Amino acid sequence: MSSDGKGIKDLVEEVMNEGLCTGCGACITGCPYVVSHEGRIVVLDKCTGVEGNGDCYRHCPRTLTDFEALSRKILGMSFAETEIGHYENVWMVRSTVPGVAERSQDGGCVTTLLSLALEEGLVDVVSCSKMDEDRSPHGYLARTREELLSCAGSSYEASYSLEAYRSLEKDSQEKIAVVGLGCQTEALSKIKNQPPKNNPDPQNIKLTIGLFCGWALLPKTFHPFLKDICDVSNVCKFDIPHTPHYSFDALMDRNGKIHSVPLDEIKPYINPACGYCWDMTAELSDISIGSAGSSYPGWNTIVARTPAGVELLKLAEQKKLLAIHDLPEERLNHLKTAALNRKKKALKNIVEKTGSKTDLLYIDGLKPEYTEKLIES
Amino acid sequence: MAIQALTKEPFNMVIAGVGGQGNVLLSAFVGNALLNKGYMISVADTFGVSQRGGSVASHIKISKDTLYSSVTLNGQADVLLGMEPVETLRVLGEFGNPEVITIVNPRPVYPTGGVSYPDLEKVKEAIEQLSAKTSYVNATEVALSMGNPILANIILLGALVGANLLPINKDDMMPILEERFPGKILETNIQAFEKGMAMIAEA
Amino acid sequence: MSDIAMDKPGASVLLMGNEAVARGVLEAGVSVAAGYPGSPSSEVLPAIASVAKKMNIHAEWSTNEKVATEVAGGASFAGLRSFAVMKQNGANVAADFIVNLNMTGIGEGGMVIFISDDPGGMTSNNEEDSRTAAKWLDNPLMEASSAHEAKEMIKWAYEVSEAVNLMVYVRGVTRISYTKSNVTLGELPKAKEKKAYFPEVWDMYSPKKSKFTSGPFPIFHKPLHEKLDKAREIFETSEFNKYWGPEKPELLLITCGACTSYCVEAVQQLAADKKVGILKLGTTWPLPEKLVAKHLKTTKQVFFVEEMDPFVERSVMELAAANLPETCELTFFGARSGHLTPFNEMSTNLVIDALTDILNLEYQERDPEYSKTAQELVQVVPARPINMCPGCPHRATFWAVKTALKLDGRNGFLCGDIGCYSMGFAGPGFFQSRTMHAMGSGAGVASGLGNLVQFGFDQPVLAMCGDSTFFHAVMPALVNGVYNKSNFTLLVVDNSATAMTGFQPHPGTGKLANGDTAPTVDIEAVCKAAGATVEVCDPFDLRNATQILLRMMKTEIGTNVVIMKHMCQLVMTREKIPNQYKMRVDPDKCLSDECGCNNLCTRLFGCPGLMLDKETNKARIDEALCVGCGLCTDVCPAGAIIREEVK
Repeated sequence: MSSDGKGIKDLVEEVMNEGLCTGCGACITGCPYVVSHEGRIVVLDKCTGVEGNGDCYRHCPRTLTDFEALSRKILGMSFAETEIGHYENVWMVRSTVPGVAERSQDGGCVTTLLSLALEEGLVDVVSCSKMDEDRSPHGYLARTREELLSCAGSSYEASYSLEAYRSLEKDSQEKIAVVGLGCQTEALSKIKNQPPKNNPDPQNIKLTIGLFCGWALLPKTFHPFLKDICDVSNVCKFDIPHTPHYSFDALMDRNGKIHSVPLDEIKPYINPACGYCWDMTAELSDISIGSAGSSYPGWNTIVARTPAGVELLKLAEQKKLLAIHDLPEERLNHLKTAALNRKKKALKNIVEKTGSKTDLLYIDGLKPEYTEKLIES
Repeated sequence: MAIQALTKEPFNMVIAGVGGQGNVLLSAFVGNALLNKGYMISVADTFGVSQRGGSVASHIKISKDTLYSSVTLNGQADVLLGMEPVETLRVLGEFGNPEVITIVNPRPVYPTGGVSYPDLEKVKEAIEQLSAKTSYVNATEVALSMGNPILANIILLGALVGANLLPINKDDMMPILEERFPGKILETNIQAFEKGMAMIAEA
Repeated sequence: MSDIAMDKPGASVLLMGNEAVARGVLEAGVSVAAGYPGSPSSEVLPAIASVAKKMNIHAEWSTNEKVATEVAGGASFAGLRSFAVMKQNGANVAADFIVNLNMTGIGEGGMVIFISDDPGGMTSNNEEDSRTAAKWLDNPLMEASSAHEAKEMIKWAYEVSEAVNLMVYVRGVTRISYTKSNVTLGELPKAKEKKAYFPEVWDMYSPKKSKFTSGPFPIFHKPLHEKLDKAREIFETSEFNKYWGPEKPELLLITCGACTSYCVEAVQQLAADKKVGILKLGTTWPLPEKLVAKHLKTTKQVFFVEEMDPFVERSVMELAAANLPETCELTFFGARSGHLTPFNEMSTNLVIDALTDILNLEYQERDPEYSKTAQELVQVVPARPINMCPGCPHRATFWAVKTALKLDGRNGFLCGDIGCYSMGFAGPGFFQSRTMHAMGSGAGVASGLGNLVQFGFDQPVLAMCGDSTFFHAVMPALVNGVYNKSNFTLLVVDNSATAMTGFQPHPGTGKLANGDTAPTVDIEAVCKAAGATVEVCDPFDLRNATQILLRMMKTEIGTNVVIMKHMCQLVMTREKIPNQYKMRVDPDKCLSDECGCNNLCTRLFGCPGLMLDKETNKARIDEALCVGCGLCTDVCPAGAIIREEVK
């Protein structure tokens, strides 16, 4: 994949038509040719002949991505060839703010940390995702605690949250926090590495919170399924509880009723592109948060990667907004194993697709010994 | 009424422009003035879809005594009035010959749909190379300074009549302008016509 | 531009062919004229209507050509001379009435139909030769070779029509209809005194079938052929058939209509008048066989020059076959021999080329060196694609359609129709129209497609029609859709005009052909009454229009109508309705070819009022063309196109 003069046409050919689009929303750059609509990325018209590569192409996490360069840019160091990437600390955490945890996925940490960042003036606006009345997610700009709370909870669908960042005026001077999945933090890193032409200066992005992600559902196919099993307008929260068996639960607001379906029934709606993702823990962020593979119910696992991330967590602890404990060794290992397995699985799928151990689709800039080892094992 | 013999029989004039510039009005004005002088006239305009921004060529075939078909034979234009530069060149390519005399408004009308316009100086050079004589009349510019771009066609009419290429003069045109432009607009149009006559005298 | 009803017999005036036809109608003393606009014949009826009151004529724009012909038929039944006018497609629409009218015959009043064909398809999306309709429907046919002759021919056509009791076709073509040339005016009739009366009223004491009810067929079909034979006899001596040339020409050139002057000019250019004789036929069906046979005997070579179908060529060859063996030595040139083509417009140059080949002559258009230079220099001349006008509401509609279809994402598509919005098949309409056929076919085809769910069809279907087209042929298709539970969305692009053909009024405009006010037939009410789900919006509100289309496409049952209502910009200009805005581009904000824009406005949106300034490489408003509609502000992704309200 060479990269000169490429734009949306190439993105469609190389990424979307190849089943690699994660639905991260990075290509929806305020560009008139690409928009998101009802859970799909829609190319409205042809755009060719832009000098250099178009932002849509440059910033896509599934076009050629130099992870070594991004790691240096974001984390200030060489790419950590480890299971969950570079970190300062890993903790287990839960929000102690009343009313937050109930509406959130597990520990309510994301909402709590971002509220704090807004209140302390560390950031002015949060680019995140929010669910519509019909529970389909879209990018959203939150500037208050209330607005943030309205975004809590997971849709388990790709949410284009980067669309929200890109909807900010080009000359906006607001300090920005961005919340995103692995693919989205990868895109965001590419945006920081190659500043966009028509979006706010990425230096204004002061905080990146990554979310653990094993896969995301495809809204196009999942939503009709969801509509069949429940009244989506009444759903207040989706969840995948760990016990007794993995299931997908939709909790209904009005009557507290839970619609539960076995997880296997959900799996056909997983975006096939997620099979090529090797970044379960959003390694290119200030803080990564999640529960999968590691936590106790009601708690989050937090990976603090940068000094900015560590500082925010400490501040939250000081203000008694978060309860923080060290993550037990055995749980950490559990997380690492899961993340490593994801890397191996992704590389296996990539090699199967390209038929080559050196052409790794989008993964670039790493030592061949490292990737080879992952492929061989 | 004795009819003045033409320099060539039949005599062919072509008006080249873009739909919306007013070719049709212009060809009717010229045709009527010539008919009033006793000539046999055939005027062909392209109508319909061509009004919508496409190329338009109006043909006027003038004869002392015979009614001919309206369209000029290939390579047989005697006078070319170009309302737009590339349209003028387009018509020269088909109907031009070493003797053709060209009057042209050098203001381009740009094509739409991403079609690019050639270098204007090159177009002007080509027009000059393919014409025995080329006169430029900045009709659109003057019309805009008079407050209405549509006056460009009356300015060009003035230039055409002032160039003495056809057996019609200002007095022949006046009754036609009076009929077409009643009331206040007559004065503006006469002004435009006279400006055109003055401009061709200086060109 | 001259007064069409000028009472100056003998005066020579410059008239467009269509105006000359109208003058012929006046000179013939016609009482009722009806038509449907369609270039190249659109100007005939307005010319009549403009003097209708003064001349005591009922002139009307009918909703379609069949109705127009029926209106004229009714007048003929009541004893009045009547006239109908249409373009070539109209002949097809009217055919179903005409085939039956020929069974009963017309009334006492002569009836003439003027059809203008469009060789080269300059203002049409087909190149039909309507002369064949005269043949298969059994009507006498004449072809005019100039504006003046068209006027004279119309008058004579009434005499023929009344003599044989049949409707008579007069055929024009674009170059006849749209050429302005000298026309000598004839006498206008004195005031009409004849009272209109329908003679076939029921007599209860001796009841019998009315003359004007067709069938049983054999009884009527035989007299029809006798009538045609009578027409042929009349045509044998018609002064509209002429011959110029030597008694025994080396080549007999048989031509008709507009081609006549091309032939005369070609022979003149080649100085071949001693070799070539020209037989010009004004009456081409039924063929005046005796006249033609007489001329065939004078030569060994025959060359046919006519536009489109080899209509006369076939008739004459059929005659030659019937006259064997005396015609056995004849050689024929024309469309069949490949010297000319049965398509596209004819020209003097094409006739010259064919004649130089047949007669082995030399011809030089111009200095060959000049030709070579000219060919090189015109290489830089760009194509100039046709476009919708600055401020055209159709541009907004197509933009909304394009956006909605893409957002919907189910491979939906638009069935196009006939009007300015026909340009929807090309760049100006962003190539959105995926079908385009006859008037009303968009809705009809959509009605068919919208009923294929049982075969797995799952694409949303849109159809489009203009306001005039709606009345012409869309109403039956819409009713068909509703009745048959077809799922599609019809967009009525209501710009309050029959814009393509020159702003003729129609039932939705509240005006009559003669300018009088009329009841307005409300399209929205008609659609609602038919049972469709109807929404009305202004396409200039792009966001709303797009949302409505998206919503309509999601309905999985029933027929929807969206009326896109915004006045035609040309009508606004004609009626001096100013636009709201003064437009400008902020060059600092304009992204031009940069990422995030890539010249969206000049490259795709394509309003002629916008241009890319080569020097600054920024978009610019062309103040000579911009009308200030303000739409481009909503399309610009960079907020660089600024509209300021004009007080």
